[in-house]
Amino acid sequence: MRYRTTIAAWLVVTATFGCAQAADPRYPDWPCAQAKVPEISLAAVWAGPPLDDVAGKWKEDATVGSLVAKLAARRTPLEEAQQAITDYLKGAADKTRSGKLLFSGLFDTLNGQRSQVMNGLERITRKQREAADKIRADTIALQALQGEASRDQAKVDELSNVLVWQTRIFEDRHRVIKFVCEVPTAIDQRLFALGRAIQQEIE
Amino acid sequence: MKTDGLRMWDRCLLLGMTAWLGMATPAAAYIAYVSNEKSNTVTVIDTSSWTVTKTIKVGQRPRGIEFTRDGKFVFVAVGDDDSIQVIDVAKQEVVDTLPSGPDPELFALDAEGKILYVANENDNTVTIIDVEKRTRLGEIQVGVEPEGMAISPDGKTLINTSETTNMAHFIDTATRQIVANVLVDARPRFVEFKRDNSEVWISSEIGGTVSIIDPAKRTVIDKITFNIPGLRSEAIQPVGISMTKDGKTAFIALGPANRVAVVDTATRKVTKYLLVGQRVWHLAFTPDEKYLMVTNGVSNDVSVIDVAAQKVIKTIQVGELPWGITIAAP
Repeated sequence: MRYRTTIAAWLVVTATFGCAQAADPRYPDWPCAQAKVPEISLAAVWAGPPLDDVAGKWKEDATVGSLVAKLAARRTPLEEAQQAITDYLKGAADKTRSGKLLFSGLFDTLNGQRSQVMNGLERITRKQREAADKIRADTIALQALQGEASRDQAKVDELSNVLVWQTRIFEDRHRVIKFVCEVPTAIDQRLFALGRAIQQEIE
Repeated sequence: MKTDGLRMWDRCLLLGMTAWLGMATPAAAYIAYVSNEKSNTVTVIDTSSWTVTKTIKVGQRPRGIEFTRDGKFVFVAVGDDDSIQVIDVAKQEVVDTLPSGPDPELFALDAEGKILYVANENDNTVTIIDVEKRTRLGEIQVGVEPEGMAISPDGKTLINTSETTNMAHFIDTATRQIVANVLVDARPRFVEFKRDNSEVWISSEIGGTVSIIDPAKRTVIDKITFNIPGLRSEAIQPVGISMTKDGKTAFIALGPANRVAVVDTATRKVTKYLLVGQRVWHLAFTPDEKYLMVTNGVSNDVSVIDVAAQKVIKTIQVGELPWGITIAAP
């Protein structure tokens, strides 16, 4: 039983961290299979008129500001968001300018959210690395305790209990990372779809 | 009288020709099969109307996809089911399975269409399959995370790339031994031979380049780089490469740059960037080379490029995470 704990802990750490070396030397803490693109470039998602003249101005317009918040939220279904864009731009006096303001706001907001998620992923990867080191060290310590001639069973039990918990937390975090890796892509997808809807309206 | 008769014949022939041509136009339509990695389906597209005509349920995580040489079947690598499924084109359903290694991703069919070479992403091997007998002929050990696969036009060399080892492995198809390893930039994804066997092009997703290798000397002779104003260099991730039969023009899919680069193969310079959908990975020409279809994994669609005009003319919604594409005459 005790041996099983040490072997299991050891396996989890080597299996998850052994293979997960960063593929991109520029980003050693990036844990996802998708190659890291630190921020979305405007040219990747927007083929409409230049936005230079409206940079940052969307914040001054309360209607645009609240619409940006609504459209950026992933709980707003995409169809509903696209409809809101159509409705808003239909009533606008200067369709092109309003469309540009709206996209400018969505670009800033969603890019910001995406950066936060990516920073979080790298932070949690560093934490995982520390946890892996701790599990490795504790596994060695446990093996040493078990090998002693007059072994202290209470100590062995305590340490193997600690190891079980550490391993469980490590595995849970690993699963969460895999799941969260999908979020930056989901944001890219949303921004592109919203941008396309705006461009169609102002064309 | 004689001349009149001839003229009559001419007219009849002309009429007949026109009628025949008129009928031939719809027959020039092709069918495209697109693998959708996340929805575990294959989308069938009719290229005469650019519409989806069928969605076929397949195994888990379909990626590499290709027609058999006779156009009667489509092979699709279903990575999470550790096999290659065979779709009957007439029935539009999965009818058989070929044995690959764990997690097959991409594969190459030899010129006769009898032997299939499969890159198994998870166990660093290439599996060789006899297509008729549906049996495994052997395995070749390669680098870590094998993916790109291509056979030289003379059939003598198979090239496999390994994503983590960053190498192109040159394999002798007769002895099934690795005869050379060529180092390329980070995360090589796809291999394309020039039809005249003079060059091999290999894309590197993280390196952001395409290496051009002389297959005789087995050395890198040039590298294509990309620069799109206003776009971060990390977003330029070259994956799929398609070259016209005359070898003059190459189209390279640039992943999250959401663009396909058009490259003049003589100067090895990009002449144009075409804006397509999101995270473009793989591409395929229609057999007449009039159109190029590309898969956009994040926007879940396929873009159609008019090859002569070098313009995107259409976007078709498909399943989730479209990955590979293959096109043939029905």
